Amino acid sequence: MTTRVWWGTAGPGCKVTVANPTDAELVAASLAGDRAAFDTIVTRHSRHVYQLCYRFVGNHEDASDLTQDVFIRAFRALKTFKGQASLGTWLYRIAVNVSLNRVSANTPAAVPFDLRLHGTHPGVTSQEESASEALLRGERALRVRAAVAKLPKKQRATLILRVYHELPHEEIAGILGSSVGAVKANFFHALNNLKKLLS
Amino acid sequence: MSHLSPSEFIELAEDALDPRRAAHADTCDACRAQAAVVRDALRMSETAEAVPEPSPLFWDHLAARVHAAVAADPQPRAMGVFGRLGLRPLVPTLALAVAIFSVALWTRDVRPDAGAERSAPGAARMGVDAAPDTDTSLDGAHEEVWAVLTAAAADLQIEEARAAGMALQPAAVDRAVQRLTAAELAELGRLLQSELKRSSN
Repeated sequence: MTTRVWWGTAGPGCKVTVANPTDAELVAASLAGDRAAFDTIVTRHSRHVYQLCYRFVGNHEDASDLTQDVFIRAFRALKTFKGQASLGTWLYRIAVNVSLNRVSANTPAAVPFDLRLHGTHPGVTSQEESASEALLRGERALRVRAAVAKLPKKQRATLILRVYHELPHEEIAGILGSSVGAVKANFFHALNNLKKLLS
Repeated sequence: MSHLSPSEFIELAEDALDPRRAAHADTCDACRAQAAVVRDALRMSETAEAVPEPSPLFWDHLAARVHAAVAADPQPRAMGVFGRLGLRPLVPTLALAVAIFSVALWTRDVRPDAGAERSAPGAARMGVDAAPDTDTSLDGAHEEVWAVLTAAAADLQIEEARAAGMALQPAAVDRAVQRLTAAELAELGRLLQSELKRSSN
């Protein structure tokens, strides 16, 4: 376990030593002027934020840009973070907003560059499956993601957060600013539409 | 027994539905067919490819890029004036009050005679942009109201405005405040004082 030194909030010039600080402690330290604390927030949450952005845009370059944008917006809005939801949920909320702003319901499904180049995703092959099986699986995965990209924005966000990030309905409701019932209804309609799109 | 609702179909697919309601899906053809669609779509959605893992160097580069970007930013304040005074719950009310006055001003401005009423004589008739009217200038009696309003506008966060059910355009609050007449300012001041007293109780 590493122990890091943070600028504390006890007063100007006062340092406190915190091992594995909580998100709340990191937020407080960031607001007190400790940029390293915010660096730790970035390090701690960037993978999940990146994966969420990638689900919306489907390529590394845009997902990378969006992830950077999410954390810059988070830094600027940090004072508005009230701690009612977890920091991760709050970051997810920003990520969903910036991602949905980037993509629109009419945008054609983005196809990963690697997939366009090679016909299948390099990560889907394994030693056990044949090349044809891998190709079939890659094509199926591509169709699914193209169909997800055609869903209305809120349905798309709900499905991505539920299926690929396995978030509970309550947390999704917090991220999307809706009720749990609305989240379940959106999920239902997303699945129905997905089925139609894939049939 | 009624058919399952959309929420219940999701709960059924996730094995979280009340057993009595789940039993209905076994006996109702329509619900059974719909449940199969949901389950099938859920299974298909899970076949999408995993997000490819970026280069191990990516995370360090990302952190460095974010660090460089925020380094140029001013330090975010922990709280504004209203937050330090413990009056943050009042901000949406203030925002709402300003919005109400904005709407009042807007409706006043769209009246056909409003432009002539508020513009320099002759300017409206000549079809030129009138200079800002001067009858909204503040006298000493309203300086306190002006100070409270300025603080409210400066402290207003877009998130809080949205939480109050508004969508503000950039500088809308500033414009609204600047265009209040003396009587409107006095009324708004009375409202604010009333809210301040209420929140401090």
